[in-house]
Amino acid sequence: MRIGIVCPYSFDVPGGVQNHVMDLAEALIGLGHEVSVLAPADEDSPLPPYVVPAGRSVPLPYNGSVARIAFGPVSTARVRRWITRGDFDVLHVHEPLTLSLSMLAVLSARGPVVATFHTAMTRSRVLAAAQGALQIVLERITARIAVSALARKVQVEHLDGGAVEIPNGVAVAKFAGVEPLPSWPGEIDEGTGGTLGFLGRFTEPRKGFPILRDAFVELARQRPGLRLLVAGPGDPDDLFDQFPPDLRDRVTFLGLVSEEDKARMLRSVHLYVAPNTGGESFGMILTEALAGGTTVVASDLDAFRRVLDSGRAGRLFPTGDPVALRETLAELLDDPAQRAELTACGDQVVANFDWPVVARRVLEVYAAAIEATDGRVIDQEWVELA
Amino acid sequence: MPGMWWVVGATVVVALVAAYLVWTASRVERLQGRAQLAARALDAHLLRRAAAAAVLAERRYGTELYAAARIALDARPDEREAAENDLTRQLRTIRLDLSDPDCEAVIAASRRLALARQVHTDLVRDARTARGRRLVRLFRMGRGHTWPNYFDIDDPTLAVPAADVPTR
Repeated sequence: MRIGIVCPYSFDVPGGVQNHVMDLAEALIGLGHEVSVLAPADEDSPLPPYVVPAGRSVPLPYNGSVARIAFGPVSTARVRRWITRGDFDVLHVHEPLTLSLSMLAVLSARGPVVATFHTAMTRSRVLAAAQGALQIVLERITARIAVSALARKVQVEHLDGGAVEIPNGVAVAKFAGVEPLPSWPGEIDEGTGGTLGFLGRFTEPRKGFPILRDAFVELARQRPGLRLLVAGPGDPDDLFDQFPPDLRDRVTFLGLVSEEDKARMLRSVHLYVAPNTGGESFGMILTEALAGGTTVVASDLDAFRRVLDSGRAGRLFPTGDPVALRETLAELLDDPAQRAELTACGDQVVANFDWPVVARRVLEVYAAAIEATDGRVIDQEWVELA
Repeated sequence: MPGMWWVVGATVVVALVAAYLVWTASRVERLQGRAQLAARALDAHLLRRAAAAAVLAERRYGTELYAAARIALDARPDEREAAENDLTRQLRTIRLDLSDPDCEAVIAASRRLALARQVHTDLVRDARTARGRRLVRLFRMGRGHTWPNYFDIDDPTLAVPAADVPTR
C-alpha cells in the first residue's frame, strides 16, 4: 500500500511526535509498505530516505513548549505537489488541529484521511471558540486515532467524535539489547548501593523532579552508595544546586542524550523513577524503560497506571508524595525478587507496545478509512500479511 | 457616482453569497455520500462477522451460536441492530481458543467491525450535523438523499486475555 504520512513538527528538533512518526514509518516499511513522510526541514539537513522535506519551519510556542512548524502559501503548494505525486492509498496526518503541514494536507486531501491526535488538549475554550472552523478540518478526516485515553477523551468531549485508541509504540529491539553505560549500574546489596534514574527536563514542574530529589536526599543519608543518574536538557548548576553539598558526588548528570544513549541510560539504573505530577498524556518513557528491562517506579497518574497494568508491570506511588516514593524505593532496592517479578511482567506488557504490533493495528484503521471512502471491503490478509 | 458603487457592492455581496451556497451544497453532498459509503462498508463487515461466526459454530460451538449468526445474516433492517447485539453477546459467552484459525477469524472480523462501526458513526454524525444546519434546510440541500441513520450497536470487540494478544 502507498502511505503518505505528514508530521507537523520539524525533524531538526527531537520530539515525541517526530519519533512516533519515524518509528511508525519504519515499522510500516518493515511490513512491506511504501511510505513517504512529509515534514518541515531544511533541504540540506540529513534525513532518512523516506522523508520529503517541506522547507524551513518557524518556531511557535505551543502547549507549554516550542514547536517548529511550517504554514503558508509556499507550504501549501508543496503539500499539494507531494500529495499529487505520491498518489497515496491513504493519507495519515498527525496533530491536524495545529496550524501546520498536517492541517494543510487535510484540507488538500481528497481520498481517505486518517488523523492521529497526540496531545490531550485541555484548553477547551480555544477549541469551543474555533469549533466552526475546526469542523471544516475534522469533517475531512475519515478515521481518528488517539494515542492515549486522555487524548481520546478530548475527542469525545470537545470535538464531538470518537477515536480509536492505539497507544504509542516502542521499538523494543532498540532498547532491549543495548549495553549499559560503562561502570553502571554498579553494586547493589541489602541496605547499600543501587542506582536511581530520571530522564527529562528537571526544571519543568510537571516532571516532578523535586519529589524524586527529596526522596533521594533522605534515602541517600540512610543508604550508603545510593546513586542518582539524571539525563535531560538543562544547566548542570541548576541541578546540583538543588542537592546538599555532601551528596553532590552521588548525583551524575548526563545532559541531553541521544536516542542510543537514552537506551543505554535506561539499562544503567536499577530503578527508573517517573515522579510526574501531571500533563503526561501517555508515558512513552515508561514503555521505553520496560523495553530495556528496567524496573519502573511511577506516580499514580491515570496514564501511567494504564501503561503499567495497574501496578503489575511497575510500582505506583501516590502522586506528589516524596515520603511514599522514598519508602517504595527503599523496599524495592532491597527486594531483587520483586524487581525481577515486575520486569518479567513488564516484558509481557511491552510486547503489546512493540511497533510492528502497533503498526498492524494502524493498518487496520487505514483499511477502515479506505473502505469507508469507496465502500468496498479489503481482505484481511492484506492487512495482516503484507 | 455613488449609485454605481451600490451596484458594485451588491454584485460582490451576491457573488459571495452564491459562492458560499455552492460551497455549502457541495460540502453537504460530499458528507452524505461519504456516510453512505461508510454504511456499505459497515454492512459488509457485519456480514463477514456473522459468516465467520457461523463457520465457527458449525465446527465447535453448536446451535445457539449458529442460530444467532443466521438470525443476524437474515435480519430485516429494522431488526438488525438487535440481532447483531445478540450475536455479540453470544460470542462473548463462548471461550475463544486462540490457536484455532476459525476463532482467530471471528476475533479479527470483530475487531475490523469495531473500526467500521466507529468510522460509520463519526461520518454519519458529520453528515447529520451538516444537514441540520439552518441554511442547508432552508435551501433544501441534499434532499436527494435520505437522512443518514446511525447504526446503534454495542462495541463488538471481543476481549482477548492481555497476555495472549497476538504478537506475530
